[in-house]
Amino acid sequence: MSFAAFTLVTTLAVGSASSPASASAATGPLSAGAPAPLASTKMKSALDGKLVSIADVAGKAGTLVIFTCNHCPFARGWERRIADLGNAYAKKGVGVILINANDPAKYPEDGFAEMQARVKSLGLQVPYVVDETSNVARAFGASVTPEAFLFDKSGKLAYHGTIDDNHKDPAQVGKRYLKDALEAVVVGKPPAVAETKGIGCGIKFR
Amino acid sequence: MAVVLAVALAALPGVAIGRGAARQTATNRARAPGPRSADLATVMAEIRAPGASAVLVNVWATWCDPCREEMPEIVRFYRRHRADGLRLVLVSADDPERRPEVARFLAKLRAAGARAFIKTGDDMAFINGLDARWSGALPASFLYDGHGLERHFWPGPVTYRELEGRLAEMAGPGGTTNPMAKGHP
Repeated sequence: MSFAAFTLVTTLAVGSASSPASASAATGPLSAGAPAPLASTKMKSALDGKLVSIADVAGKAGTLVIFTCNHCPFARGWERRIADLGNAYAKKGVGVILINANDPAKYPEDGFAEMQARVKSLGLQVPYVVDETSNVARAFGASVTPEAFLFDKSGKLAYHGTIDDNHKDPAQVGKRYLKDALEAVVVGKPPAVAETKGIGCGIKFR
Repeated sequence: MAVVLAVALAALPGVAIGRGAARQTATNRARAPGPRSADLATVMAEIRAPGASAVLVNVWATWCDPCREEMPEIVRFYRRHRADGLRLVLVSADDPERRPEVARFLAKLRAAGARAFIKTGDDMAFINGLDARWSGALPASFLYDGHGLERHFWPGPVTYRELEGRLAEMAGPGGTTNPMAKGHP
C-alpha cells in the first residue's frame, strides 16, 4: 500500500510514470505492526450466542482475525481450511475470531441462522461473530472476504492477507500464506511473508 | 439467487454444457466477445496494444451482484465512446468451468467489440500488476490512456457519470494526453 510500492508498479507497467493514477475511495488496510482496532467491541457469536470481542479471544501466542461470510464463493472455497486452521491454532495459543461484516439485507445467506448452520457443518470451535455495523471491518480497512489479520503475541499486526494461493482446490495449493504466518507467530518469529492478496468478494458494508 | 442457480447448474452438468454450447453459438451470432483465458501478461498486452484512445479494464464475476449491477453503466459508457477508440477489456474472475455462464452473461450485454477474458494465473501477481492499491475485492475498474498509462482506479462499482468525468478529465487541459481528441475536437 505504500506510495513507493505503487510508483514502482506503475513504472514497471508503463515504462515512464509521469504521475500516479488517481483512485476513487481507496482506503488502506491496517499497517504492519498496528494493534487491532475496536478490540473491545462486543459482537454476537454464532458459536454460542454470546457477546465476544477481539480482546476477549486474544491469545498468548497471537490473535487471528478473519473477515469472512457465508455466501461468497471464495469464502466458501476456503471455509473448510479456515475452520481447520482456526480450530488447530486455537489449541496452540492463538486467539481466533471469524467476523462476518456483510449486510444480510444484501445477501440473506449471510444472516445469523446461516452462520449458526456453518458453525455446525464445519465443526467450528472458535467464535464466528456478527459485525452488526460493519464498523470493525471499516476500522481494520478490510475490503474483501476472506481477509485475515494475524497479530503477534505483543498484539502487533504480523500478517495481513489471504489464506493460500488456491481458493478452489486444497490439493493445488502451493503457498500456505496464513498457515506459514501462524507457524512463525506461534514460535515468536516474524512471518517470512507479511502481506498477500487474493481476489475475493467485496465486503457488503452496512 | 445466483448461488442457487449455480448449484443447480453444477448439479446437472449435461444440461449446463448443452445450454452453454447453445449460448456460445448465440454469442458468436451476436458478435459478442467470447471469453478466453488470460493471465496478467495477456491483459497488460490488451491495455498497451496500439489503436485505442483509452482503455477501460473491469474485473468482475457472474456471481458478484455489484459487478452485475454496475455492468450496464460500463456498457453504456463503452457504447458512447467506442467509435472514438475506447477499448473495453472485461476480465472475469469466475472459475474456468463457468465459461458458459460467463459467455451467456456477456452475450446479453450487447457490447460488440469488447474484449473478454477469464482470469488465470496467480492472484497476487494479477492484482498488484494492475494496481498495488487494489485489495483484490470485486468489482474493480481501471482507466488507461492511449499510451497504456493508468489514469484512474475504482475499487468497487463505478457509475456512468464517474466514468464520463474521469474520461473528460483525461482529455481536458489538466491531462497529459488528449485521448478523445479525434472524436471530440
